[in-house]
Amino acid sequence: MTRCGWLVIGMTLLCALTPSVGHGQVLTVTGAHNLTFGTVLPGVSSVISRTDPANAGRFNIFSDQQGNQIRMTFTLPAAMIGPAGAQMPLVFGAADAGFSATQNINGQVAFDPRTPFNQALPNNGRCSVFLGGRANPATNQRAGAYAGTITLTVTVLQ
Amino acid sequence: MKHASWLVAVGLFATSLDAQGVMVAPHAVYIDHRVRSGSVLLYNPGTEPVEVTISTFFGYPVTDSTGTIMLRTVEAPDSTQPSALAWVQAFPRRLTVAPLERQTVRLLGRPPAALADGEYWLRLVIAAKGGQVPVTGIPDSSGIQVGLTLEVRTVIGVAYRKGAVSTGVALSNVRAQLKGDTLFTWGRLERRGNAAFVGVVRGTLVDSTRAVRASFTSPLGVYFTMEPRIAVVVGRLPRGRYWLRYEVAAEREDLDPAVVLKAPTVRDSVQLVVP
Repeated sequence: MTRCGWLVIGMTLLCALTPSVGHGQVLTVTGAHNLTFGTVLPGVSSVISRTDPANAGRFNIFSDQQGNQIRMTFTLPAAMIGPAGAQMPLVFGAADAGFSATQNINGQVAFDPRTPFNQALPNNGRCSVFLGGRANPATNQRAGAYAGTITLTVTVLQ
Repeated sequence: MKHASWLVAVGLFATSLDAQGVMVAPHAVYIDHRVRSGSVLLYNPGTEPVEVTISTFFGYPVTDSTGTIMLRTVEAPDSTQPSALAWVQAFPRRLTVAPLERQTVRLLGRPPAALADGEYWLRLVIAAKGGQVPVTGIPDSSGIQVGLTLEVRTVIGVAYRKGAVSTGVALSNVRAQLKGDTLFTWGRLERRGNAAFVGVVRGTLVDSTRAVRASFTSPLGVYFTMEPRIAVVVGRLPRGRYWLRYEVAAEREDLDPAVVLKAPTVRDSVQLVVP
């Protein structure tokens, strides 16, 4: 779709939503990019850095509540589940998550995704959270598709 | 709301259409006992349907020993807690929001007949999950494919107000400490009245000539008692005496003025010496 098309949609939303919402207070949290482990070989750990633009997990946060404190809490699986209940361990380290007030993957402040992290929303209301991790397939890892879910909970602290 | 904010939001959506999640508005819901209902708008900015699950719990912000704000949750609040968990319900609790569509979640209060005047709280959890996400990864000779799906949960506050509600805050034990280029401040805040204090903390650091060296504004809600730590980068300060002026005001630009309860502004100040 062209930029003009998006502008039309945007203006339509602007008109349609404003009366319903009233005074401000928009908060949007989206999972923008799945954490992706490329080729996984049995017995070979696969490590994804939170600064890997192609493979790091990414959440985008937008709000018009500049300065408001939010608390971010990850729920991380210990393993991915595969065929017939086979498991592939996952490990997340103390610096595997990053917060960027500019949404720039190269401008992150590292934090531990295993513990909650507080942050004030930046002045433009936009920020991103990045996530890396390690998959540890066993040498006899069963072939098939493995999946899991990473949850980011964003709590408005007011 | 400010129209400019909507334009910013729409601009963001336009570049993030593969995102899984929903826009939630407002981020704080106030229900008046005379109406007994409220609503939350959900909008799906993405190109795939989003499955949304609504749940509730009771909790409120507190601070830990370092001053970090956290949410204290109470699984089974008793009658001494100002909880609306048992009698405010959300409808529907499961829904699917189609791409570029919006849906409304209704909140309906059915309080007990003898409910005393005051403010009662709960937290609303909006869990959003994208539709079927293909397993990603590059197939290889091992035949192992790996994919991790992202899910988001947004937790917002809900306050139910009945009858005469009032609030206020008492300020004490204001402290400040310089570490490197950062000023850390604390203040003990005790809520007054029968409703949460929703406002801002404003801090101003002035030097001996009364010139402002740094300032900050931090929105917060005081439900019972807290001692929030607020950090602000002030840069390297030259030797001398400084004063932190600290005030807590019942003002919020981001909230409808009708829901921000009036309360006296409280102030204090503390001196710092840079040796």
